[in-house]
Amino acid sequence: MSLMSLSFWKRYSFLRRWILLLVIFLFLLQFLRIKFLIGGLSGSLFLSWVKILDPFAFLESLVASKTFTIDALWATIPVILVYLIFGRAFCGWVCPMDLLFSWVNRLKRPFEVKFAEKIPSKVGFIIAGLLLLLSFLIEIPIFSNYLSHLTNFFRSLTALVFLIADLPVDLSLFAYSVMSLIILLILEFCFPRLWCRVLCPVGKIYGLFNKVSLLHLRYKDGECLQCASCDKVCYMKVKISQNIERRKLRSQDCIFCGNCVETCEGKAHLIKFKLGV
Amino acid sequence: MNRRSFLKGLLLTGLTGLGLSSLSPKGALSLAFRKKEDFEPPLVNIPVGGLIRPPGAIPEKEFRAKCISCGVCVNICHSMKYDAIAVVGLSDFRNLGTPYVKDMRDFPCGLCMECPKNCPTGALKRLDKEKVSMGQALIDFSLCFGWNGDVCLSCSKACPLGAFVFDFYNSQWGNQPYINERCVGCGLCVKYCPLGGSAVKVVKKEVYQRIRPEYDQVFNRLLKMSMEERYLVVYNENLPKILSRGRIHEREYR
Repeated sequence: MSLMSLSFWKRYSFLRRWILLLVIFLFLLQFLRIKFLIGGLSGSLFLSWVKILDPFAFLESLVASKTFTIDALWATIPVILVYLIFGRAFCGWVCPMDLLFSWVNRLKRPFEVKFAEKIPSKVGFIIAGLLLLLSFLIEIPIFSNYLSHLTNFFRSLTALVFLIADLPVDLSLFAYSVMSLIILLILEFCFPRLWCRVLCPVGKIYGLFNKVSLLHLRYKDGECLQCASCDKVCYMKVKISQNIERRKLRSQDCIFCGNCVETCEGKAHLIKFKLGV
Repeated sequence: MNRRSFLKGLLLTGLTGLGLSSLSPKGALSLAFRKKEDFEPPLVNIPVGGLIRPPGAIPEKEFRAKCISCGVCVNICHSMKYDAIAVVGLSDFRNLGTPYVKDMRDFPCGLCMECPKNCPTGALKRLDKEKVSMGQALIDFSLCFGWNGDVCLSCSKACPLGAFVFDFYNSQWGNQPYINERCVGCGLCVKYCPLGGSAVKVVKKEVYQRIRPEYDQVFNRLLKMSMEERYLVVYNENLPKILSRGRIHEREYR
């Protein structure tokens, strides 16, 4: 009985973790030479047929090389199609950092830093712009090659497997990738969700799709209890309860984690996911 | 919560174990865990001249700008069982994250052309394998069995392009192979050279353009040498070096 009720009330948190693990599992198959998903989340090959390229990586590669490649544009189209439907759901459902960050957030913090929460998420567009400018100037895709959590996560996985199997790999690359992941985890420990909310340009680009995506948040008819539980559980700091008169919410920061939906279900039962216009 | 994390851990450990057990086919594994060769590489005075890129790579500067370090080429190479492509580490910070062929002695490129076919950014361009230009293989004439009185031909037999790339100069000193400028630099000859430490080295094409007059001078001098001179060179200079490195029969291409 308790498990049943858990899977009903917490169904989104449950489901999205399993989807994340499934995606990582499908990527792990490549080390067994099963060509289901090859590469990483910034660029990959699906079923040895569909090329997939992250839109921000595409932009960076475009401005760094100053030459347009039609193949690269084709590779971004599957991603764009998926995000026209699901918006920024990538961040909450597929990004491996979301899982790692949620583990970090279970640790007890001896201090609390409040000022990071006050940084508006729009600052992230300036950072994404600066990264693109920097890539343009030094002619290297600076975020994707050095800083990206997705690149570093899959690079360290590959490097670890290759190290154990004694295949050619640079040990220093493994060290670099793991270190940058650890730095991100430390950043998360000091400033919760600063990376997701403000710094990460990949999520910023996906956030733009939230304005037009089929998936969005709706408010049902009924009376709000003014408990503000939804605002408290939202780790992306979306102002959920303030938008209740507008009937629907299309925030660039929403990653469709479902925390607000699950919380409200126990109370006023007002918030729901809506797939459609 | 504890039970869940425990189950997750169990799942991950199981997958890792499964993964590692079937990672390398027997052959690759036995080769990989063999004692590493510590001979100095052939042609020490000729530098490689940079990173040997995967086949189909666009010019170096544009390649660095286009590549986003997604790892498709690395992992497609692994799934094709060549494992040739590695990723540059901190030793070359400007190229960090970009792919290169690291160890041609054990993991040369097989020219399957899957990586240029599947590169999502266009850093690797699709082309025929004859038109690939990863580098140029150079034979060290002072170490090669074929140039010092033996018949070996492992390199030419391993070459995926065969007679397109190899020229042979037969004499009483053996069946002497010469790799011409049509070589694409895949490195299969480096792997299958039975000499300890290999007698073949792959250098970048730019380096080859620069050192070619010098290299061909050595080659032409050897061809023109009289019997007595050649005898002295082979027995006094070359054979002691070759014998100290030894012949590794498992590497021979048969």
